Amino acid sequence: MNASTYLMAANAAVWIGVAGYVAWLATRQRRLERRLKQLEITGVGR
Amino acid sequence: MADATDKPNLLPALAIAAGLALAAAQWFVWVYAPIEATMGLVQKIFYPHIAMAWWCLISFFVVFVASVAYLLRRSPGADRLAGAAAEVGVLFAGLTLILGSTWGKAAWGVWWTWDPRLTTTLVMWFVYCGYLVLRASGLGRERGPMVCAVVGVVAFLDVPLVFLSARMWRSIHPAVFKREGGGLEPEMLAAMFACLIAFGLLWLVLVGLRLRLSRAEDRASALASGRAPR
Repeated sequence: MNASTYLMAANAAVWIGVAGYVAWLATRQRRLERRLKQLEITGVGR
Repeated sequence: MADATDKPNLLPALAIAAGLALAAAQWFVWVYAPIEATMGLVQKIFYPHIAMAWWCLISFFVVFVASVAYLLRRSPGADRLAGAAAEVGVLFAGLTLILGSTWGKAAWGVWWTWDPRLTTTLVMWFVYCGYLVLRASGLGRERGPMVCAVVGVVAFLDVPLVFLSARMWRSIHPAVFKREGGGLEPEMLAAMFACLIAFGLLWLVLVGLRLRLSRAEDRASALASGRAPR
């Protein structure tokens, strides 16, 4: 591996890491919003 | 249903600012900053590496402050902030280690060495991973945040050690900011500060997103168990 390959690998790691985390947050947020809607519709806790 | 807090949502504006700042930082790194004479092109790993390192340390400082705030005031917001900052800190610390390891392979020929800076950083990463496991372990609504807050305070002991390790002990890891001026060209300093600002805005966005998720989790948990949200 030459210097450019190491550089590209390092850059890719940063953006894959950040994008992966944001995607994970987005998936959890969507699931939670669906669950909250269900809970509010069924009136649980009132 | 209106949100009880009804605060203006700054996240979209912050996200746009972060995107623009990251784009500008890329220009600084790839176009503006010169190629370093000794290490060549691979030295450009330095810019995101140091930005992520700084922001992970700041993140863990936020965990410490939020944990102290929880211990003093039992504020649910402080507990949520500690969790969010810890998660983003672990992400940034992990990426710092990956970037540093890649740079080390290119510059020193090894992926890893038990150097003081690298070792203390790895220990710090494990400690905060443990903190996140503790947060997820379900210790209970009252006891959980208290235990996590105590751990959040104690875990911070390693952070100053990471920062000072390259100065206190014989280390092959460079100490960038020295009394004599750091040894960076002005263009390199500009690229470094551009990355620091850009990754700082990214940090704010990620912590904001994680806080929003935590608030929703608390609300769902409260609705499911028939009590008022924290």
